[in-house]
Amino acid sequence: MHASIDHLLSLRDGQPVDAATAAHVEQCQRCSAELRKLRELQLKLQSLPPLDAPTSFTEIRRAMARPVAQPRRLVSPRLVAALAFVALTTIFFVALRDETAPRRMAEHDTQSAQPQEQPTDVVEQARVPELVAQSQRLEDLLQRLPERPRVERVSTAAMIDTIEDRIQWLDFQLSDAPDSGLSEEQTQRLWRERVELMDSLVKVRYAEGGVAF
Amino acid sequence: MSQFAGIEVTAEVLSAACSGDSRAQEAIYRCYQRPVYSLIRRLIARPAIADELFQDTFIEILRSLRSYSGGGPFGGWVRAIAVNKCLMYLRSPWHRSFAYLDADENEPLADLLMDGASSPDAQVQASNDVERALATLPPLTRTVVWLHDVEGYTHGEIAQLMGRTASFSKSQLARAHQRLRELLDPQSESLPCTHLSTIC
Repeated sequence: MHASIDHLLSLRDGQPVDAATAAHVEQCQRCSAELRKLRELQLKLQSLPPLDAPTSFTEIRRAMARPVAQPRRLVSPRLVAALAFVALTTIFFVALRDETAPRRMAEHDTQSAQPQEQPTDVVEQARVPELVAQSQRLEDLLQRLPERPRVERVSTAAMIDTIEDRIQWLDFQLSDAPDSGLSEEQTQRLWRERVELMDSLVKVRYAEGGVAF
Repeated sequence: MSQFAGIEVTAEVLSAACSGDSRAQEAIYRCYQRPVYSLIRRLIARPAIADELFQDTFIEILRSLRSYSGGGPFGGWVRAIAVNKCLMYLRSPWHRSFAYLDADENEPLADLLMDGASSPDAQVQASNDVERALATLPPLTRTVVWLHDVEGYTHGEIAQLMGRTASFSKSQLARAHQRLRELLDPQSESLPCTHLSTIC
């Protein structure tokens, strides 16, 4: 019985391996050759040439020196309240849709079993790459907004936290999407929800920072 | 051997850089730009993303110089920041989305990594082959093989960084080597010792 690649890698790295395996590798030509090849490959990896960075130090300095915009003025509490209402309504409907999701998914599965019937709402929706791009644009926009003020209304802070928590939960679901067996439709729905929440978040943060629409 | 090894930055330069001296900061940049960029490019196949992560890494290094305690080698501290940036990106949904989009593209990631470079020189060609083979590995597997075989991280350290177990790291390394061997040395594909199982 020859040594496994795990054993050979342990031997290569000087890790403990049982005496019988070590003795076998020493005597077996095939295993010795395998061990030598593993060492050679490691050397090849280590010998890969270094790569020069495309960014100059001046560009790094410029990026560091970019001023962080400060909020110009506090926006009217009425506008904050209105946006809060919009955001909370969005969250409410999104949550409501989640509750009915299993039923709709079951319906979809039934429909899938009958090829002549196509779910019409799926056709009307944006595809995942479009939603991803839209979500990323909103993310970029959010990054460019002024930092949150040190002092803010409790209601606004709570609302932002709620939205961010939900987005974080969605990110968690999406990052595991390929492994958790989510269908494309389910992934699409999660991304759509993310876009809606990001949109609400951007609006609330705009209002909070006093940036004019 | 890690490209971070052997680079030394004096305490005076570090101190001056901490207090905002531009020339000292540039000296640190000149010392570490190649190892940092090389590390990022080997972990992240997309050049545009790697460039962005490189800039973010250096901004963080220069902004948080004061938090370097001096307890370990400065190069190790710099490398840890670069590795963390890459792992944060690999964990993000953006990375997953790109992987999803890549599935529809005709251009393989290996070609992105090489920027289409080709050379008649045998040694350069061999390096290119290794680079291409490395780029075909899944991102986490590639990260494990690079951190372990080149940067010298232990399986325990890799496990801690990735929030996994040491066994995960070991199995990823074994799979990486098996795949690399298949790509670089196809004739040895049928050799029993490259199999993961102990029964040949």
